[in-house]
Amino acid sequence: MTALLDAPTSAAEPTAAPILQARDLTKSYPLGETTVHALRGVSLSVAAGEFVALMGPSGSGKSTLLHLLGGLDLPTSGEVELAGEVISRLSDDRATRLRRDRTGFVFQSFNLIPLLDVTENIALPFTIAGQDPSRGELAARLGDMIELVDLLGKEHHRPDQLSHGEQQRVAVARALVTGPALLFADEPTGNLDYTTGNEILDALWRSCHERGQTIVLVTHDAKAAAYADRVLVVGDGRIRDTIELGRRADHDATVLIGRLAQLGL
Amino acid sequence: MRGLHALAWRGLRARTLRSVLTMSGVALGVAVLFAGIATDAGIEASVDRTVEGLVGRADLRVAAFGEAGLSPATVEAISATPGVAVAAPAFERRTYLGLDRFGPGDALPAPVTVVGIDPSAELRLHDLTLASGAHLTRLDEPSALVGATLARSDDLVLGSELTIQGPAAPTTVRVVGILAEDDPYAGPTGRAVVMPLTTAQAAFDASGFTRVDVGIAPGTAPSVVVEALEGSLLEEPYVLSSPRELGLAMRASTGDFAATTALIAAVALFAGAFLIFNTLSMTVVERVRELGLLRAAGATRSQVASFILVQAVVIGAVGSTIGIVSGIALATGMAAWIGTVGDVALPGPVVTPEGVLAAFAMGMAVTLAAALEPARQAGRIPPVEALKSRMDLPAARRARLRWLVAVFLLVGVFGLLIWPRAAGDAGLIRALAVYAALLVVALCVPFLLPFLTRVAGLPFIPVARLEERLARASVLRDRGRAAMTVSALTVGLAMIVALGGVGQHARAAAGAWIADVVPGDVLLTSIFPRTVDEGLDDILSELPGVASISPIASFDLAIDGVRVDGAAMVGSDLASDGRFHLVSGERSAALAAIDAGGSVIVPATVAERDGLAVGDELDGTTTNGSVVVLRIVGIAERTLPGDGGEAFVVGWPDAAQLGVAGADAYAVRFAPDADAAARETLADEARSLALDPVPLGRIQGVIGAALDRVFGLFDALALVAIVVAALGIVNTLTMNVFERVREIGVLRAAGMTRRQVWRSVVVEAGVTGGIGAICGIAAGLLIGALMVVLAGGRPDVAIGVPWLSVAVALVFGIGLAMLAAAYPARLAARVSIVRAVGYE
Repeated sequence: MTALLDAPTSAAEPTAAPILQARDLTKSYPLGETTVHALRGVSLSVAAGEFVALMGPSGSGKSTLLHLLGGLDLPTSGEVELAGEVISRLSDDRATRLRRDRTGFVFQSFNLIPLLDVTENIALPFTIAGQDPSRGELAARLGDMIELVDLLGKEHHRPDQLSHGEQQRVAVARALVTGPALLFADEPTGNLDYTTGNEILDALWRSCHERGQTIVLVTHDAKAAAYADRVLVVGDGRIRDTIELGRRADHDATVLIGRLAQLGL
Repeated sequence: MRGLHALAWRGLRARTLRSVLTMSGVALGVAVLFAGIATDAGIEASVDRTVEGLVGRADLRVAAFGEAGLSPATVEAISATPGVAVAAPAFERRTYLGLDRFGPGDALPAPVTVVGIDPSAELRLHDLTLASGAHLTRLDEPSALVGATLARSDDLVLGSELTIQGPAAPTTVRVVGILAEDDPYAGPTGRAVVMPLTTAQAAFDASGFTRVDVGIAPGTAPSVVVEALEGSLLEEPYVLSSPRELGLAMRASTGDFAATTALIAAVALFAGAFLIFNTLSMTVVERVRELGLLRAAGATRSQVASFILVQAVVIGAVGSTIGIVSGIALATGMAAWIGTVGDVALPGPVVTPEGVLAAFAMGMAVTLAAALEPARQAGRIPPVEALKSRMDLPAARRARLRWLVAVFLLVGVFGLLIWPRAAGDAGLIRALAVYAALLVVALCVPFLLPFLTRVAGLPFIPVARLEERLARASVLRDRGRAAMTVSALTVGLAMIVALGGVGQHARAAAGAWIADVVPGDVLLTSIFPRTVDEGLDDILSELPGVASISPIASFDLAIDGVRVDGAAMVGSDLASDGRFHLVSGERSAALAAIDAGGSVIVPATVAERDGLAVGDELDGTTTNGSVVVLRIVGIAERTLPGDGGEAFVVGWPDAAQLGVAGADAYAVRFAPDADAAARETLADEARSLALDPVPLGRIQGVIGAALDRVFGLFDALALVAIVVAALGIVNTLTMNVFERVREIGVLRAAGMTRRQVWRSVVVEAGVTGGIGAICGIAAGLLIGALMVVLAGGRPDVAIGVPWLSVAVALVFGIGLAMLAAAYPARLAARVSIVRAVGYE
């Protein structure tokens, strides 16, 4: 069920070594007197430098899977190994530090801290780690990020002074600023119009293609998923299919949409 | 409507902790208020009892000036005055019992009060209830009635013999009756010996009378008798008073206490109002969508507003009821702690229906006043709010200064209505000034907030940089709410610091006063006047280590027909001691002039009040009715304390003319090389001469301890206001956490540990507490100085910084605030990231 649809053209291609592995993940929630099985045994592997999209309809379990992969939540059973560490075996503090140092998150609803300005929001992971982001290499990295997301001149704006697209770009910059091993993006374009959404996806793709950033993207939009090297189709708490798209510069979604149609999605 | 009310009730139950906190805030405020009311009622009752004990059924009391007392001619004139039905003369002296049993070096026993009465007249005005035995019958029998306490302490039974030590030979009387335990005639100490008038006078070798109680014939107006007495008593000075005046004088001594308690109650209620306002505002913000839905479904504005008001009524009623019950306990504790207020013994609180009603009404009024603004906000929520995915209600977020002023005024006006009458006008003006100053401080807080937040955050930067940054921003996010929270804390802390300042000044002023006006290190006091003939000066001055002995007498003085406190002192002793300061007049000349006679030194407080100046002449009335002209030779910064203020100081030649029989105290100055043995020798010798040696340090210590007790109580009450404010901090921070759930989730997702989240909330509380402490301390210092100045404090005693109170305010302000953050911080640390980031 795999398909190589386009020849890789990237400068930074995924290497074979997995940076993220999930083994037989399940997740259940009690809901009143019944139990909801959000995930029913998911195993997957993401190689360093790879751009993977998790696709599926609402309620398919894709966001739950992302939360478990990113260590925001713990599985009912199974385990997640991120950068060589099994998250469920770590204490809350160590898991938090792993998240802080090795991952970045972008959420659908921007989720910036309204009290902090653009620079402070981007520098948040450093500040949380007790580092001073106003000096040396960190300051340079901040400047680099602001440039990457095209927010020069707006460094001291507060979130409520920015457009939605700009806010999401700040969120992307914050997720990338530590140079994380993995970037998790949960419907990052869900609240944006078409053009602004594309800007965000372009920025993500550039970071993957040019800097070797590993990305796991959750989306229900085939056009967004078409930026990925590989698409995992989630349904009913399981991975129903894997679609290999390969690294492509044009992000054409036609083939993917066709494949999804074959799957009835 | 019933459905809406049920919804309001469910709203309270849904947030049990918050409802309980708010009710506790109201309860604490009402408790302090009711404790004050019940204590004041207890003081009133105690004053009434004391006055009744003093004068019984007498309508008027004619009291003598000076030791010699009223002459028999005056007593006769009183009896003969038209309208006088009963004139009961009495003679009073203080002495020791059984001095012969005490050896040198023994501490003197507690003195007793000997009262000589005319049994037939006295019993028509006073009950003299007996526990056992029989009443006195004749004027000259060698019998006595004794107080129950004295009988117990001295093992006296019916038939026991008592030796009364007079100035000459001792007199022996037999106990024929013991007064009942609670008979007011035995006085507050219960150590009274009631003897027939003639026997008592003979024992003390006296012929005068201390006072005459007058019973007015039925149908005669007291004013008519007063006028007649004033017309007929021209021979010698006297003080004419009615039970009402005695009561007033006693109440005056409790005024400051009542005023301060009432003020602290107002502050506690004010802090409670902040708590209620914040809680109900929080309810509006949280339920904005629900309330919008109600509006969309057809509920009117007033129905939605009543949703909030019903909650307020429940909070107010439950809180006030609990407050009244706790107030009784608090007042009982206050009475036990304080013992006496001014001259009035405080046996316990008295619960009156009016007091309960006033406290309940105040609790309800403050709660409802605090609820009005949130209720108005709720009524103004547009139905469209219910349709929005995210809620933002600027109106609900902006706390309004005008609301603050309105509640402040309401508490003030209501306070005026139930203001304790004992506090008097001066107390009221002082309290109003302090109250207004607190309002000004509370109004200034929002404007100073950005600067103060930065300052208060400084101590946290080295240990929690990010947390400090977030806390600072969070405090400033909703300035109105932060200002409310801080203001409540500020007024409580300001009271602690202000009371600390006033207490410190009072101690310093009292200490300095005693040290300045007494020319010695030790005061030897006597309960009866010691004449020059006794030669005590010579005996004492020959003792080793004694550098100087200076006799002092305190007496009543009639100046231009008005009773004032008088003191006889030796001018040359004051001149050589060098601490008696004059603000007007030449010191050495003035002191020499009083020794020469015909001169007086007037205390500055009186000179200022009555417009007296050096060179003025005053008429002093002597005991035989003639007049001594006293020329003012100096105005003293302060003089010896008397019963009703500071004393007019005269020399001994004038004192003798004014009827002063002898010294009732000796100031002893030791030589610089005097050792402990010399002091001990003096003490032993003094006791053998029936003089009680009291080192000045001990007098200052006793005054200091009494002040400590009173101010300790005030501090404890003010602390209640701070606890209320701390409850407000719990509420505010909880509200902040609920509003910031998503933000906290993002921070956690970005790598903030639970501990860091916890810390950021605690730091926010610390910053809030720090701002409260800074404002509270600054305001407290200013208000303390204001209180001292308004109370006519000594300008020469610097109003220092009460460091202990400042430290307490700092520790309590910041510490209690951080402690209050424990619960909201735990809530914040437990926020689920997954839920938080999806939280709308």
